[in-house]
Amino acid sequence: MGIKKINRKAYLNLVETVLFLDFIKGLSVTIRNMIKKPITTQYPKEKLTPPKRFRGAHGHFVWDGTEPDSLKAIEKFMSYEKGKSRCVACYMCQTACPMPSLFRIEAVQLPDGRKKVVRFDMNLLNCLFCGLCVDACPVGCLTMTDIFELANYSRRDEVLNMERLEIHGKDFTARRGEEPDRIWPDDKERERLWGKIEWS
Amino acid sequence: MIIDVIIALGKIAVVLLVGLGLGAYLTWVERKVAGHIQARMGPSVVGPFGLFQPIADGVKLLTKESIIPRGADVPVYYLALILALVPSLLIFSVIPFGPSFTIFGKEIKPIISDVNIGLLIVFAMGSIAVYGTIFAGWASNSKYAFIGSLRKAAVIVSYEVVLGFAVLGVILIAGSLSTVEIVNSQIEKGIWYIVYQPVAFILYLFCMLAESGRVPFDIQEAEAELVTGYNVEYGGMRFGLFPLAEWYLNVVGLSAIAVVLFFGGWSGPNIFGPLSPYIWFLVKTFALVFFTLWLHWTLPRFQAKDITDIAWKILLPIALLNVVVTAFVVYLFS
Repeated sequence: MGIKKINRKAYLNLVETVLFLDFIKGLSVTIRNMIKKPITTQYPKEKLTPPKRFRGAHGHFVWDGTEPDSLKAIEKFMSYEKGKSRCVACYMCQTACPMPSLFRIEAVQLPDGRKKVVRFDMNLLNCLFCGLCVDACPVGCLTMTDIFELANYSRRDEVLNMERLEIHGKDFTARRGEEPDRIWPDDKERERLWGKIEWS
Repeated sequence: MIIDVIIALGKIAVVLLVGLGLGAYLTWVERKVAGHIQARMGPSVVGPFGLFQPIADGVKLLTKESIIPRGADVPVYYLALILALVPSLLIFSVIPFGPSFTIFGKEIKPIISDVNIGLLIVFAMGSIAVYGTIFAGWASNSKYAFIGSLRKAAVIVSYEVVLGFAVLGVILIAGSLSTVEIVNSQIEKGIWYIVYQPVAFILYLFCMLAESGRVPFDIQEAEAELVTGYNVEYGGMRFGLFPLAEWYLNVVGLSAIAVVLFFGGWSGPNIFGPLSPYIWFLVKTFALVFFTLWLHWTLPRFQAKDITDIAWKILLPIALLNVVVTAFVVYLFS
């Protein structure tokens, strides 16, 4: 039952007027809505899982043996530990960031000549979650997780430091690491939205 | 004599308690219906299915501070409350809930007062109820409230006329103004008067929506323009009283009158045992109440000029025509 578009000059015809057909159309729409299951998500009680590529709070992937072989090349230049951030303090993320004051990254040279990252702060109050820093990261360290509940009681808490970034990264790998990388919740949903893809 | 008084008081107590309880719980029903129509859930947190929501709302409204605005006409400010609630309750005094029955050799009619001018009382109360609205708007010394009450007055003045003429057809066929007599005549003839008077029923529905300030005739509320119209300067339970009276008690009362007039009152197949007539009456009434809510959450609002336009230029001629035709038919065939 389509909805008839009328302007103020176009009146309903006699049958529609006498039998209240437009009323009945409207009423049928609402009663169908009423029978339908509500689409509400009871937010604090139940939470939707965002797709894996969701751009939420940032995280750092850590040295856990899953890193690509190419990263082995920098091992002798970096002071790294297992379970710690892969960051090499290249400042690529800061360069890519549209917001100049978002990152504060510091690194020192250890006596044995290796480089150690001592500070990696992200002020999320300035962040617009564009994901450019993630694209810029040359070592696959910086990432964006599906954590979206970022409210805090003070502005200080909005600044992510290295420990929290590592926690986010480890948590994200543990929960979603196995999932394929995609922006839709699941393949069935994607097919419903955009149809089946035919790869060549 | 004493027994009569006790019976009358008992009936009043039952109707009052049931009426006010229903009025409170209809807020829950309305919010559920509205929610599901908009693909939401409605109240669902307080109690199972949100069933204790009206109680929570009542506690909230009762414990709230209520402020009388500066420059308000205080006696009229309070009089408006009384004039809004009492007529809505008095409508219930002439609604017959079932056939009369005998208990301990005493005949009891499940109606508070079976007067022979029952319908006239309904219309009189409908007309008095508008004073509540007008006084509320006037006494609260606010232009939004006053605009709302003026709009309501315009609507009521137009639709009372149509309502009277719409119901006249049924009265002509039934030959009585008493609500009990109208139902009895429908049961005797074995037919509901909606079959004889479908046009009158549709007119009655329009007037019912207008009288109770429901969409599409809710210009006196008009949340978008007038905040909530005439009751905007009231607070606490005084604020809750107006919707209770107008949106819920009036709708239930007028739906019950519609059932009496057009749907054969308590008549229906005897499938629920001795309580069957009462259950039929309530089922029919609440079907109409649900229809009203359903319309409310479907239709947009008319403009103020359109509402009076419809009443005077379209509905009133149709109602007059309906009355004339009915009178001729009744005169020729009876």
